Amino acid sequence: MANARALVKRLKSVKNIRKITRTMELIATARFKKAMDRATEAAAYTKKISEIVADLSQVDLKFSHPLLEQRDNPKHVNLLVLTSNRGLCGGYNGGVLRQAVPRLKELRQNEEQTLELEVAGKRGIAFLKFQGYEFERAYTHFEDQPKFSEIEPIAQRYIDGFISGEIDRVEVAYTKFESAGKQTAVLETLLPIGDLMTEEGDETDDEGRNVDYEFLPSAQEILEEIVPAAFKARLFKCFLDAAVSEQIARMVAMKGATENAGEMIRDLSQKYNRARQSQITSELSEIIGGAAALE
Amino acid sequence: MADGKLQLVLVTPEKTLLDEPADSLKFPLFDGLVGIYPSRAPMVGRLGFGELVIKSSSGEKSFYIDGGFAQVKGQVVSILTNDALPLHAIDKEALKSELSELTEKVATTEADQDAKTARVDRLRMMLKLAQ
Repeated sequence: MANARALVKRLKSVKNIRKITRTMELIATARFKKAMDRATEAAAYTKKISEIVADLSQVDLKFSHPLLEQRDNPKHVNLLVLTSNRGLCGGYNGGVLRQAVPRLKELRQNEEQTLELEVAGKRGIAFLKFQGYEFERAYTHFEDQPKFSEIEPIAQRYIDGFISGEIDRVEVAYTKFESAGKQTAVLETLLPIGDLMTEEGDETDDEGRNVDYEFLPSAQEILEEIVPAAFKARLFKCFLDAAVSEQIARMVAMKGATENAGEMIRDLSQKYNRARQSQITSELSEIIGGAAALE
Repeated sequence: MADGKLQLVLVTPEKTLLDEPADSLKFPLFDGLVGIYPSRAPMVGRLGFGELVIKSSSGEKSFYIDGGFAQVKGQVVSILTNDALPLHAIDKEALKSELSELTEKVATTEADQDAKTARVDRLRMMLKLAQ
């Protein structure tokens, strides 16, 4: 029977696919660990920054900085979408784009607002191009280990644009890493900075609260420097979160794929065995039938 | 004067480079070098670019640091900087070629000129330190 032969072929290809997905799962696991380490190491910086901000807030000081200023009806909105360069990572890119697209539509319909769209990752670029969105900039060089030196120029451009009034608002659509078991695609407003204090490093120890600091050159000037630094750190965190979440998504997707392939192999080999058995039976009955006809 | 040791924490946006005890520190603030001994009064300062020298029982270590903040609180000195390089890791050849490339370029706008001077100053400082 030709069927058995076709089944063998199919079985072989499924086995090969399982090998690939299993390897990808292992690679994603290794990369996830690395990305995760980087993310936790980077958290130290944000924590320190918010510590200094907390120290500053004790001084009698008005928190005024161009980057903190809320603008009523923002005209120029900058949306940055962080997707992955590679596929095979389950709902990762879909989730981010589902956040970004409604916002894009809303901005496009609103005549008063201009939109500048920036996309990182080939997947997002391909999708948005297909949907007919035009974007200002596209980045494809961010892999699973984004460097601060790569992100700093982008952050600096946003800061300059915001201060000069070319940009009124910067939003980022990315996958936020909450824990190893939970990542959610979110749309966050990074500029203007809503609240400097809402960072996880907020719960700094209370014992050092009433330290009387000497500020060099002055508290105001430190504030002026620290706000952009905090923004850069936040943008960097978005990229790191996205990188970690991508690896987790891929790990989970590939685990599922490997399991499915295993199930399919069981099914197919059962079918193949049945087909082979029925082939033998029919051959036997043909021989017996032939012998009976000769008698 | 000194009761106990300083604890130096050197962090960049990417990672924590150092978290170790030190006897004394020297690093550039926005207007010049500052030295820190144990039990210094609490301070928050803006950093300039230049050399961070860490003296401890195991010897002396040097880093190139590029801007950021320093916080002294009790015996803990936190240095937050955009970039920190151990001096021996500085690639002199690459810096030299970047410097000569940069000096040949003509800045057309004021902002360009500022950026160029800033970068050139940093490169020269790194080269000087790497000697």
